Amino acid sequence: MNKTLAGLNNLVDWFLPPEIAADREVRKQARMFLYSHLFGPVIGNSVPLAFYFLSPKPGVDIAILAASISAFWIYPFVLRATGRYNLLTVLSVENLIFSILWSCYFHGGVMSPTLPWTLTIPLLAFFYIGPSARMRAIILSQLAINLAIFYYLYQTTSPPSGGMSAGATQALGLVSTIAASLYVTMMALFYANALASQVELEGEMRQHQITASALRQATEDAKRASAAKSEFVAKMSHELRTPLNAVIGYSEMLLEDAIDEQDDTVASDLKRIHEAGHHLLKLVNEVLDLSKIDAGKMEVFNEFADCAPLLQKAAQTYRQAARQAKNELRVEAEAGVGVIYTDVMKLNQTIGELLDNAIKHTREGTITLAASRTRRPQGDEIAISVRDTGAGIAKERFESLFEQFSAAGDVSSTKYGGANLGLSLSRKLCHLLQGDITVESEIGQGSCFTIRMPASAGAGPAEDDAENEEVAAALAAAEARSRDLLAILAVAGNGPGARSSNVSTEKAAVNA
Amino acid sequence: MRKILLVEDNENNRDMLTRRLTRQGFEVCSAVDGPAGVAMASSESPDLILMDIALGEMDGWEATLLIKAAPETASIPVIALTAHALSSDRAKSVEIGCADFDTKPVDLPRLLGKIKACLEAWNRPPV
Repeated sequence: MNKTLAGLNNLVDWFLPPEIAADREVRKQARMFLYSHLFGPVIGNSVPLAFYFLSPKPGVDIAILAASISAFWIYPFVLRATGRYNLLTVLSVENLIFSILWSCYFHGGVMSPTLPWTLTIPLLAFFYIGPSARMRAIILSQLAINLAIFYYLYQTTSPPSGGMSAGATQALGLVSTIAASLYVTMMALFYANALASQVELEGEMRQHQITASALRQATEDAKRASAAKSEFVAKMSHELRTPLNAVIGYSEMLLEDAIDEQDDTVASDLKRIHEAGHHLLKLVNEVLDLSKIDAGKMEVFNEFADCAPLLQKAAQTYRQAARQAKNELRVEAEAGVGVIYTDVMKLNQTIGELLDNAIKHTREGTITLAASRTRRPQGDEIAISVRDTGAGIAKERFESLFEQFSAAGDVSSTKYGGANLGLSLSRKLCHLLQGDITVESEIGQGSCFTIRMPASAGAGPAEDDAENEEVAAALAAAEARSRDLLAILAVAGNGPGARSSNVSTEKAAVNA
Repeated sequence: MRKILLVEDNENNRDMLTRRLTRQGFEVCSAVDGPAGVAMASSESPDLILMDIALGEMDGWEATLLIKAAPETASIPVIALTAHALSSDRAKSVEIGCADFDTKPVDLPRLLGKIKACLEAWNRPPV
């Protein structure tokens, strides 16, 4: 049945003008209209045919009846050509009333065997017109006026008697009643089907709402868990740092002693302890920063800074480390790169991370720290790049470079700094400063990491939380779907009116 | 000899910094919490105060405010020490009236440079 109906729908859809095909609700009514007009005349013409055979002397009135019934076939084409659905509905109802009253006038008035067809008038009309109160009023008045005129004419003129025998009249009544029943059954079947699909739609919408609320619950749970995790990490980092301070401080003190006493072996051992302590501290700080950013608790404090000295100072911190790896560290600040307004400490941290990274992967090479300014109508952009002549990075690793822990299991992971916290943090810090880091590299040629950010940062930290964004996007999609379904239900006629208002309340509760 | 007051609640850090600064030729006295620090700022009249921020009940900011509010200690330069550099901390240290700001674990040469700069600025003869 459904398959047949789908095929029929395709057939009748040919007659639908695009603006009607686009509107789900009007399309449903228009389909009913088309079914009725395409198949109705086949059934309806059985009546004039019966008249023709049963009438002792068939008159021109039967030909007019057949013509007026066949005229329904024109409507679908006119609809396709003009798209004037409401006007055609009114005309079609008029046509139907005319056909029925015409045959009643010539064949017995209230006693006419074609009288049962009057029942189909309001039924069909209401199938076509949907919930519009104005259209309903028009159709009902139309019917009343027609009946009044018919009554007046029937009283004032002398209607012809058909001259059919009682047996013929009975046979005609039978044909007419069966045809009318068939017709109404056909339309009822189509309507029932349309109704069923609407119930299905409602069920689907309810399912979507359940999904949306489950999703919301899951997001909240995830947020709570994430906040708890961030708090734990923050506390742990703090607790880890206190003893680390002691390790670093005392080893540094002992190292000074050993250097004073020229005890090279002890000095070298103490240096290892000291460096390991610093490395550990750096990791702890990075974990703390990452958890702060993830929890949206990282504050941004913007201030003005002159780019050239900022770069010189950043390079100064890493000069010794560069020298140890026999690297030359150059600073190239373009003339006119000027002043930047941003969180200078975070920018410094990011530049430091990139310099550290470059020094780690370059031996006897050159590392260039450069800055330039690009004028743009929406505000200047500052680009700060760290270029090295080191081993280089394969293109397929570019994105994973900035992902936490992504390098685990990778052969080169140890070479590129284990957990990748540094680069991941750098990118997140840059996002916080409304900028980004990109990388260009070629194996054997070296790499270039570039920070790009607005020269003048706007106020307020930007949150960067890919996971939450994903969940939020899924939620938004689910909500949009529910909204669509609600909109469909809201315009759906008759019964669902009350139900759709219930659904709105439910939706409001979900939103709250 | 210049006298430095170190306000620090962690024993290891206090001991270590005291010893290292003493070796650099400073006289170092230390306080274990905010109230003691405020009291010693007045009783010891140090040339400079190193103030840890993450203290117990009375934090370093509050102690510094009290020191800056008392006329006899208001002119003593205070260098704030915080655990992990936060830009907002640095802004706050300036706002509260600290002469400078550094992070822990201290990089001794850097801290010494800041101490020296503060002492020089403070000792500048009045114009």
